[in-house]
Amino acid sequence: MFLCLGVSVMAFVLTHLVPGDPAVANLGDRASSDPIAVKLYREHFGLDKPVPVQYVVYLGNLLHGDLGESEQSRRAVRTDLAEYIPATAELAITAMALAILLGITLGVVAAIQRNRLADQVIRVVSLGGMSTPQFWLALVALFVFFYKLSWVPGSGRLDAAVLPPPHLTGLFTIDALAAGQLDVFVNSVQHLILPACVLAAINMGLFARFTRSAVLEVLENDYVRTARAKGLPEVTVVFRHILRAASPPILTVVGLAFGNVMTGTVLVENIFSWPGIGQYSYRSATGLDLPAIVGVMLFVAIVYILVNMVVDILYGVVDPRIRVA
Amino acid sequence: MTIVGLVIAAFWFVIAVIAPLVAPHDPLAQGVTLYDPPSAAHIMGTDELGRDVFSRVLWGARISIPLAMLLVALAFTIGGTLGGLAGYLDGWVDELVMRAADFVFAVPTILLAMAVVAALGPSLFHAVLAVVLVSWPGHARVVRGLVRTTMQSEYVAVGRLLGSPTHRALIVDVLPNVAGPVIVLAALEIGSAILLLSGLSFLGLGARPPTAEWGSMVSTGAQHFQAWWIGVFPGFAIVSVVLAFNLLGDSLRDVFDPKAIIKARGA
Repeated sequence: MFLCLGVSVMAFVLTHLVPGDPAVANLGDRASSDPIAVKLYREHFGLDKPVPVQYVVYLGNLLHGDLGESEQSRRAVRTDLAEYIPATAELAITAMALAILLGITLGVVAAIQRNRLADQVIRVVSLGGMSTPQFWLALVALFVFFYKLSWVPGSGRLDAAVLPPPHLTGLFTIDALAAGQLDVFVNSVQHLILPACVLAAINMGLFARFTRSAVLEVLENDYVRTARAKGLPEVTVVFRHILRAASPPILTVVGLAFGNVMTGTVLVENIFSWPGIGQYSYRSATGLDLPAIVGVMLFVAIVYILVNMVVDILYGVVDPRIRVA
Repeated sequence: MTIVGLVIAAFWFVIAVIAPLVAPHDPLAQGVTLYDPPSAAHIMGTDELGRDVFSRVLWGARISIPLAMLLVALAFTIGGTLGGLAGYLDGWVDELVMRAADFVFAVPTILLAMAVVAALGPSLFHAVLAVVLVSWPGHARVVRGLVRTTMQSEYVAVGRLLGSPTHRALIVDVLPNVAGPVIVLAALEIGSAILLLSGLSFLGLGARPPTAEWGSMVSTGAQHFQAWWIGVFPGFAIVSVVLAFNLLGDSLRDVFDPKAIIKARGA
């Protein structure tokens, strides 16, 4: 709660104390040379009042869940967010799932094969994933798999000829399945797979590195040797004994990596024309759409806090010693 | 691996210095052959204005690398000072600095950076400011943690009991403990600074055309999809530089990690 308040203050101050003038940015050249139009615009969005007053008004509205009106779309920021969040959620969740699955697997393999060829290869692959600019990876992937090979459809969430499934969650894959539209489901997965893989690359590398060092820490413990000595199958040893003990640091990094995903979505959504909050925030930032920027920041900060709260709870699940009341 | 990272990083440093001497063409000179695929005359082809992509990639090193180092130095100066003060003074200073750091952490770097750049107006200088603004908390957290643990350690307490002044404890005990991890962090941060800076330029919020900056060159490549060489080669340059710094940071981490040192000694 305190953190949310802080983020709103910071976002507000930051976006209001800077010299750019939203009236000029949004009215266009002709209208902004007309003092009456500028004055009306300022009055409409409350920009004629001093900044502290603007903030108090904003906070008051926020208490009713009102994030203000976007200066670009002329709609409530809440409506805008509700439209764009599911697209980003679908992309981000898929990317995170891919990154966690691949990253942890690679990390475990690297730790068990320590200093052997597999470890070195995984090291280069994971550091490579962390070193590749996502916007460039997205372009190369699009060029190879769409332009050259035509394995995947191009940008957007669905082909132009395909109608979105009936609205349920806003996640097209789930909505399509729920409505029994198998063709729509397949199409949305085809559109999803490439941006999700690009988005997963950077976090996959990060997770692999952290899993490797976390697993190495526990690998030399006596109970791992005991488990092996008992003749337990290697799979059981890895999953029940090693991974469980190694999971707290991995969980921490997964929680923090959420920020990477959001940074990635801004770039990746722009390239894949994915209609999510990444693109929305880019449009808002370049258009100096203050209510929209603050709204997005606030939303993302809340998700970040929630994700890290879940991580804290999961600590207790994997390690009863740090279970919190 | 360390050697590989060192060699690549050194290679780009040298390129950054001698780019004007080795680049076969003027990076801004427009030619008559547009969209020329890689050939003997232009080994990375030419772009939409007939400029030599190879020369532009070489010149790009003069922008990305010094700027990344400058902004990591700035972020460290700000973050390190604040973090050091927070760790040393404790109390409300600590509370204030760390909460401010939390706020920055809770908002994804690029959102904050975009908001700052968009508000100040797109330029390379503003992009650098924005990246400094979002990257100081990392340094602050690390330095604060190190200062705190060192100040609470027994040998600092013993030193105090023996009557040595505080500034001596700070210089003799705290500084060496902070230096190692900070170097590791700096190496890793240079990599992510280059990524973020080129990302902002890619979005059109950093370097402006016709500057030969890698991120904006990739962006140009995105608009001319058929001529893949316009965007692909600058991207490789980014990957190789960032990878080099990540390899360096990764190896340095092993060197400075006390646990790893203990294990290596067999103690």
